[in-house]
Amino acid sequence: MNRDFPDEEFFRAVAEGGNGSEAVSAPSSLKARIYSALVSRQGETAPLMSFTELKACGQELCIFEELVRIAPVGETAKSLNICRVCHARILAERTENPPIFWNGCPYVQLKNS
Amino acid sequence: MKDLGEPQIAEAKLKLSLNHEDALLVSAVLRRDRKATAEFVARYADDVYNYVRSRLWPRYDVVNDIVQEVFLAAWENLSHYRGVGPLQAWLVGIARHKVEAYYRAQLRAPEPLDDLSPDSAALRSVRSSDHLEQEQMQTKTWRVMTSLPEQYRLVLIWRYWDKASAREMAARTGKTVKAIERLLARARAEFRERWNS
Repeated sequence: MNRDFPDEEFFRAVAEGGNGSEAVSAPSSLKARIYSALVSRQGETAPLMSFTELKACGQELCIFEELVRIAPVGETAKSLNICRVCHARILAERTENPPIFWNGCPYVQLKNS
Repeated sequence: MKDLGEPQIAEAKLKLSLNHEDALLVSAVLRRDRKATAEFVARYADDVYNYVRSRLWPRYDVVNDIVQEVFLAAWENLSHYRGVGPLQAWLVGIARHKVEAYYRAQLRAPEPLDDLSPDSAALRSVRSSDHLEQEQMQTKTWRVMTSLPEQYRLVLIWRYWDKASAREMAARTGKTVKAIERLLARARAEFRERWNS
């Protein structure tokens, strides 16, 4: 008895047909966690780009970032990862389609992507 | 030199423009521009997620962890990205390495202890499935794949979907070619049993 028949050709045929899973969007909570982890990792070795620099580059700041940007504090404070203490991050990392809507928030962008 | 027609020129321009966009994005992420970092995740998370998911489905718990690892590894190596090819392909390349690392780790673990006698009734041919429509066959294939012990599912995906040879798999897992072939044979037999049951 040929034990291998028809294994090889069967598997080759079904593999040619794809992987059985349709393309889907990654969960927004996963995107949020990835973003948080990346920014946290970026801040470990050097300061993040400050809100002043971001604004100068034409990036849109969220309301909280804008408040820090115009506050009378040093550039060091303006480079902080303030998302770490923001409720938007917590909601975005833990729920799908979180109720966050304001402009300039990276978590809103990730929710909508 | 071969003359390019208008469609080829348009395609080449599009490629250059996309590569330029990728290069700008990478440059901004490397400057620790958090908005560009969000754009980086927004633009490519779906591609990476779908690749990893297609290889490790239905282990969604593992999928999410590996996708996150891919992006962290990408950040660590982003300065090496030369912009020669699309950033998407570069990221999927990292994802492929991460998935293979997962395959290796799983295949090094002891095998499941199920009764997998190759002489069991399970050795009935799956030829009877020939009449099934391709789509039904795919659906059934993946239903059966989902039910397999993880080691068997992974070894089959690695061999047939990723088209790795038994020799390559052996080299990457530290097993012998014979051991990989035996594992594949057991995985196929288990697959067949579940397909026919």
